Amino acid sequence: MAPIKVLITGGTGFLGTAIIQAFLALPDPSLYAITALDINPPSLGTQSFSQVRYVRSNILQREELKKVFEEARPDVVVHTVAVSPIGPDRYAPYGKKSKRVWDTVFEINIEGTRNVVEVAEEAGVKALVHTSSVTVLLDELDKDFRNVDETWSTGRATTCYGASKTIAENLVLDANKPDFLTCALRPSALFGPNDPVTIPTIHGCIANGETPFILGGNENLQDYTYVGNVADAHVLAVRNLLNSATAAGEAIFITNGEPVSPRDLCLAIWREFDHTPFFQLRIPENFAWWVGLGSEWWNWISGSKGNFSRGVILDATKDRYVNITKARQILGYEPRVGLPEAFRISCQSFKQKFAAQAKT
Amino acid sequence: MPSIGSIAYYATHPTQLRSIIQWKVWHNPVHELDESKETASLQRCFHFLRLTSRSFVAVILELHPELLVPISLFYLALRGLDTIEDDMTIPLEKKEPLLRDFHNILEKDGWNFTENGPNEKDRQLLVEFHVFVEEYKKLKPAYKAIIKDITERMGNGMADYAKNAEHNIAGVNTIQDYELYCHYVAGLVGEGLTRLFVEAGLANPALLKRKDLHESMGQLLQQVNIIRDVREDFDDKRRFYPKEVWSKHVDNFEDIFKPENKAKALAINSEMTLLALNRADDCLYYLAGLREQSVFNFCAIPQSMAMATLEACFQNYDIYLKNVKITKGDACQLMIESTQNLQLVCEVFKRYARKIHQKNNFTDPNFLKISIACGKIEQFIETIFPSQKPPIDAKQNPASAQEAERLKKEAEEAKWDNIYMIGAVVATIFVITGTMLLTAWLAGARFDIAFAQFKQQIGQLLGSGDLRNSTSPKVSPEGHSEL
Repeated sequence: MAPIKVLITGGTGFLGTAIIQAFLALPDPSLYAITALDINPPSLGTQSFSQVRYVRSNILQREELKKVFEEARPDVVVHTVAVSPIGPDRYAPYGKKSKRVWDTVFEINIEGTRNVVEVAEEAGVKALVHTSSVTVLLDELDKDFRNVDETWSTGRATTCYGASKTIAENLVLDANKPDFLTCALRPSALFGPNDPVTIPTIHGCIANGETPFILGGNENLQDYTYVGNVADAHVLAVRNLLNSATAAGEAIFITNGEPVSPRDLCLAIWREFDHTPFFQLRIPENFAWWVGLGSEWWNWISGSKGNFSRGVILDATKDRYVNITKARQILGYEPRVGLPEAFRISCQSFKQKFAAQAKT
Repeated sequence: MPSIGSIAYYATHPTQLRSIIQWKVWHNPVHELDESKETASLQRCFHFLRLTSRSFVAVILELHPELLVPISLFYLALRGLDTIEDDMTIPLEKKEPLLRDFHNILEKDGWNFTENGPNEKDRQLLVEFHVFVEEYKKLKPAYKAIIKDITERMGNGMADYAKNAEHNIAGVNTIQDYELYCHYVAGLVGEGLTRLFVEAGLANPALLKRKDLHESMGQLLQQVNIIRDVREDFDDKRRFYPKEVWSKHVDNFEDIFKPENKAKALAINSEMTLLALNRADDCLYYLAGLREQSVFNFCAIPQSMAMATLEACFQNYDIYLKNVKITKGDACQLMIESTQNLQLVCEVFKRYARKIHQKNNFTDPNFLKISIACGKIEQFIETIFPSQKPPIDAKQNPASAQEAERLKKEAEEAKWDNIYMIGAVVATIFVITGTMLLTAWLAGARFDIAFAQFKQQIGQLLGSGDLRNSTSPKVSPEGHSEL
């Protein structure tokens, strides 16, 4: 039997690499022939695989993309490409100053997805798995979300990332039809070795001297997801669409299923880096909100870009966790690596990297 | 007489006193038992029950009449077994066959046992065991079969442990051993009780299929007891903490009691707590399957107490020095909250999970795992009692959008109803008052005088000095003379 041809967009990225790894770790990896499409070649330090064909292409260039698809003739597409602004850009509402950020994010996340979906459909692709995000729902920052499920409608996200991912997700799910099956996976905050955002951000607090401050009551819970588990979910989704197709047209939350207080998570990560805050100070949620507002005004007046804002406070102090029963039932998903183990693995990898950087 | 200490304590902790009073005054048993109507041997059985399980006897005696006697006898059977197992004065050659055959003894007329050491607190039960046998034989065959089966399995389990000399000297080795031990002494009780509840039609039969749930019920109770009793057990030369846990920190078990190992002792405590805490959500799930109030109370009270005790022991070095207990006020509060509905019990679990979370120490090796276990309890409670409703999306769900529209309209109508109602009341008062005034006026009432006097009195009240200067009102001499 000829192998099933899988094309992964963003195939040299953080998640894309992990998905390739998950395919190659299957009991019979020869069932799948993988093409990794990315704007960047596999960079130094990240893994590349000899069994995988790497193609360099930009999803915003439709004609270029078409050629790749015509040549690769994939059966399945896994679309992971997206950009997520971090720091103050994450919270900036649409305006004169943030227009550039919003435009870039919208172009890549929405137009890029539109190109991939349309080109894939034209090229006779049978199934497409789209990496969406919990932010389509949870980025309504001033709200709590406790154990919410997929029956909650989206469309109220206020950040540019959440808003763009919502439109992209709708676009993908609307394209679902019997000969072109699509589904969207919504992972929560991803981390892992080589993780570009979560662990570096939390680790960065040590150098900034921010570790003693506890924002809010420390009783809120949030979801995190180990990249390896999200990769498993993508493999499961591909197999589902090619077989029973019960996931077709569905959006599915993917997390580690272990909601935890963000403060505790940070403390655990800092411990992995042998850091102990030498005192702890609780900052009440309401007070922190006003400080955030003040900081935003100061940034606006002074034209500087500070890290502290109301968005940061809301991100840290609200409940944001979801129910992954649907993933368990439809995909048979089970988070293989638990949070404590996953953070240990990831932080070890970062420690080695930091040590190597220190030497050079 | 309460001691001066306790008076001082309750004077400074009024909420605790309030809970005690509330429980004593307001708690009505779901079912009441009139013991005087029972046979002499059954009364004697209840007497032993009071002696053996002081803490929960009240709840047992409030059980549904269908199960009251079977469960009481089930407890006594297990207590008899326990009394033989615990007694270190009985030689193994004698003990083992007794334990393995105890399920047959349950039906042996006139059987009793007088060879227990004088210090066994329940030895009298075995001395007069014939009263048990007499009552046991009257039970429905289905109940007898369940009690017999559990007694047999527990007896064999205990015999295996008694025979395993290594266990007696070195104690439990792996976590698996530890959980197996808890299975024999508590998990099996959970199974037996569940079968009794289902047989009596007082619990959801699906509970029988979820063996993990009733296992967790027993495990949580037993594990919490083991955590709390570490000092007492050690003084009695027993140890149930698995070697797998403590050997990560100390070489010999007795070392955890040394003051210099305080931090290690607390790390051991947190790993033990974690094992127990992971059972909590199963327990809530189990409680959701109980249909009858007295059965619910019977199961929920010990679980709430266990959660509270677990919290009291967590990161508390006192457990290695003395017996840590929850206060009587807290116990009464827990009983009040555990004898109503599942939602309140969930609140109790959540409250104590949060307390444990706040006591969690980030330098502890199991810090993150405990934090996750607490989160898991909260998430589970959210799945059975969601605190949020999904917003209604008109596009995807026109039916519920219409429903929302209708509700909004109804609320609007209700608002106007209220306004009309208030308007009507005001109007009625106005009309009645007006009619009365008119009638009075027609009858010759002098409102002008009344008004002038009223003004004058107000003036006096306000103490205005110009009272004398105030012109007396011009009073028209003639009244109305219609009447």
